[in-house]
Amino acid sequence: MTSIIVPSPIIQVRNLGKYYGNFDPAMIERTGPEHGTARDHVTASIVAAWGVNFDVAAGEALGIVGESGSGKSTVLRCIAGDVAASTGDVRLTPFADGSVNILDLDPSARRQLRINTLSVVYQDPAEGLALGVTAGGNIADPLTASGWRNFGAIRDRARELLARTEVPLDRMDDIVRNFSGGMRQRVQIARALANKPPILLLDEPTTGLDASVASGVLDLIRQLLEELQVAAIVVSHDFGVIEMLTERCLVMQHGRVVEDALTDQLLEDPHHPYSQKLVAAART
Amino acid sequence: MTLDTASHTSPTTIAQLVGHRTTETFALLDEESKREIRRALLQAVCIPGYQVPFGSREMPVARGWGSGGLQVTLACVGVDDAVKVIDQGDDEGVNAVNLRRLVTMSTGIDETTEVDEATLIQSRHRIPEDDMNENHILILQVPVPEPLRGIERDIRELARMHAEADYSRMWVSLYEDKVRNGVITQSTGYPCLVASRYIVATTPIPRWDIPRLHQSKFLTLFGAGREKRVYAIPPYTDVEPLTFEDVPFEVESADGATCRLCGSSESFLVETPGKQESWSCSDTAWCRRRRNA
Amino acid sequence: MTMTMNKTLPILDVQNVSKSFTLHNIDGRTVTALEAASFVVYPGEHVSLAGSSGAGKSTLLRLIYRTYSITAGSVKFRLANDEWVDIAQLSDAEVIALRGREIGYVSQFLHAQPRRSVIDLVARAGVSRGMSIADAHEQAGHSLARLGISRTLWDVHTSVLSGGEKQRVNIAAGLISPPRLLLLDEPVSALDPENRERAIEVIADLSDQGVAVLAVFHDLDAISRLASRIILMSRGNVVTDGPVDQVLPQLTPGDVQP
Repeated sequence: MTSIIVPSPIIQVRNLGKYYGNFDPAMIERTGPEHGTARDHVTASIVAAWGVNFDVAAGEALGIVGESGSGKSTVLRCIAGDVAASTGDVRLTPFADGSVNILDLDPSARRQLRINTLSVVYQDPAEGLALGVTAGGNIADPLTASGWRNFGAIRDRARELLARTEVPLDRMDDIVRNFSGGMRQRVQIARALANKPPILLLDEPTTGLDASVASGVLDLIRQLLEELQVAAIVVSHDFGVIEMLTERCLVMQHGRVVEDALTDQLLEDPHHPYSQKLVAAART
Repeated sequence: MTLDTASHTSPTTIAQLVGHRTTETFALLDEESKREIRRALLQAVCIPGYQVPFGSREMPVARGWGSGGLQVTLACVGVDDAVKVIDQGDDEGVNAVNLRRLVTMSTGIDETTEVDEATLIQSRHRIPEDDMNENHILILQVPVPEPLRGIERDIRELARMHAEADYSRMWVSLYEDKVRNGVITQSTGYPCLVASRYIVATTPIPRWDIPRLHQSKFLTLFGAGREKRVYAIPPYTDVEPLTFEDVPFEVESADGATCRLCGSSESFLVETPGKQESWSCSDTAWCRRRRNA
Repeated sequence: MTMTMNKTLPILDVQNVSKSFTLHNIDGRTVTALEAASFVVYPGEHVSLAGSSGAGKSTLLRLIYRTYSITAGSVKFRLANDEWVDIAQLSDAEVIALRGREIGYVSQFLHAQPRRSVIDLVARAGVSRGMSIADAHEQAGHSLARLGISRTLWDVHTSVLSGGEKQRVNIAAGLISPPRLLLLDEPVSALDPENRERAIEVIADLSDQGVAVLAVFHDLDAISRLASRIILMSRGNVVTDGPVDQVLPQLTPGDVQP
């Protein structure tokens, strides 16, 4: 232990695991990077993620990078509560001071967490927005869920957020279905920030957007992460996104974490063969 | 047809509770049916605003014509009751007359058009203008008991929303309404929060009548026959129409309109069919009494 | 800002540091970028790393900053409270904490933050090292002015700057409220003579502020004006380590070629 002061973690994840199908303890050893698959040939179960550990401090963005099927989105969804984890211990300091494993909470309590503590920005804006509702209405949703009852105040806050995410205010009362993909994503971000959550999860936030649009959204996210000092987890297969947004990063393959490093170190000095392959491919 | 009403007072002995079957039932329904409905009603009263499922029977009125309200009335009625039935405030509407006849003919009890003579008041689409008190039970006929129906169709999701008091989507729809229309436009069936817990549909009453529910002295029971639900607002219960704190809840109004019969401008007025700008009191009994006074 | 520290103790103590890369995706071969390096740096020193390309100079800077993991050896750093820590052994979180405040790195390239304004970028660096926002903005203005970045460019997004302008902004950001140890990797390579001059002056001031500087310059003139000491490297090893007047005459043009 040195006397270097390190910020205390806001998110603590230990032994997070998710499998699909029947459980057989030996299937853990039969799957993973050494076997080149997450699927157990004996039980046909899939070990989508296993043995994942990490901490995230306030003001820090942790990246999770990997190809599809790596388990990175599974990890995010388990923390978000969209998927029920099979095992693990996840504690969030802003909730009960980190004394409760949020994976043990019932669905109703998990939903409460999503109102004030933890927000998610999905790759597909349709997953995080009600397309038939206006931009302002989508922001009104988390606000009213946390008890806002003043129409004027709700409008003001919605305007503030839309302005911050660079959505033209004259579109505030348009339904989101009429927005382009990049604009939808900005509205999703505005909505995610409505209740000033201390924790933000981003799942491929710019994947699927046109390159020019994506870079604007990415830069917005970078600014917001800096301004708001949230604890963030950014899942992406794109090293450009990871490089811009994060200082630390996990690499996942076939459901396991194969490398855990400073982002710049991962990009310049990757250790695990799979990391080297990914980085090399990104550089070309 | 006479009924042996002596055997149909409230049971006081086990033998009476067990009951003897007669070929003629008091109030159309057999005792077990009435008991089941009363159990549901008791639950409803204990959990204000909560929609309690009940075994809705086939009634001599078709679904959609007040079968739910009717079953509630029949479950509640005893020999000492007097019943008033109104439809759109009018005792003489065809449906009101039919329903009232069904009740009185199967029970032999008194009927009345005057609120202060009644103990049970069944209504579609109005609360009578006269003040009611602890001696009254107001029974409302409800077509759609689910206030969130416009927002969600899945019954499990609806059950979850009520169970978790997760009404954010209702608030969003009010927000959208206000944004789109400048005001919240719901006319009948305005959603209200009961006892700060459940949101209810106040179908069939107009906005005008909603403030009467708040901290009322009388018990209000809602019966939905087709949907097989009952719910209740007990006396002295908070009933707050859902609105934003800076968007006042407004009742219907027509500037300067008065009743062409009695001259009132303080009662709920309806337009005379066929004649525009000609209004009269919805509550006919109240209007008549005012004229005769 | 005053820097209270022990000037007789070194701030950096590198012992037998080596770096190899294992290239799993080629044939698993190992490439050694640095065989062994040992040296110390004192506060207020400007130590120049010289040597031909491939000598290991940039590698060394990156090892100290932990952009490269350290294969063997120790990189000891003295904290402000005089405690020594081995950068090779620190956790990622500890490295991040050190990088923010104690150890800085100025590379040739401005890190991609396209829509950030020039003054904001420099001010933020100051804020991250403990300045108030107001002070940081003021100081940022001074630094930019000293480096010849005119006021008209201050509110412009960095992406529209020329290469030389970006580099000067980079320097301003690296040097504002300077950390105790500064690693410079060819910071003036893209500058025209006039701006190079300004940059060198600004870098020269660092020693007076007690900052320890370890720098790579491909510029004999810059080295002669800035360095108090020169470490000459060749093929991953330290060949010479001595005061500037001693080592400078020994340098050949090949030793500073980019």
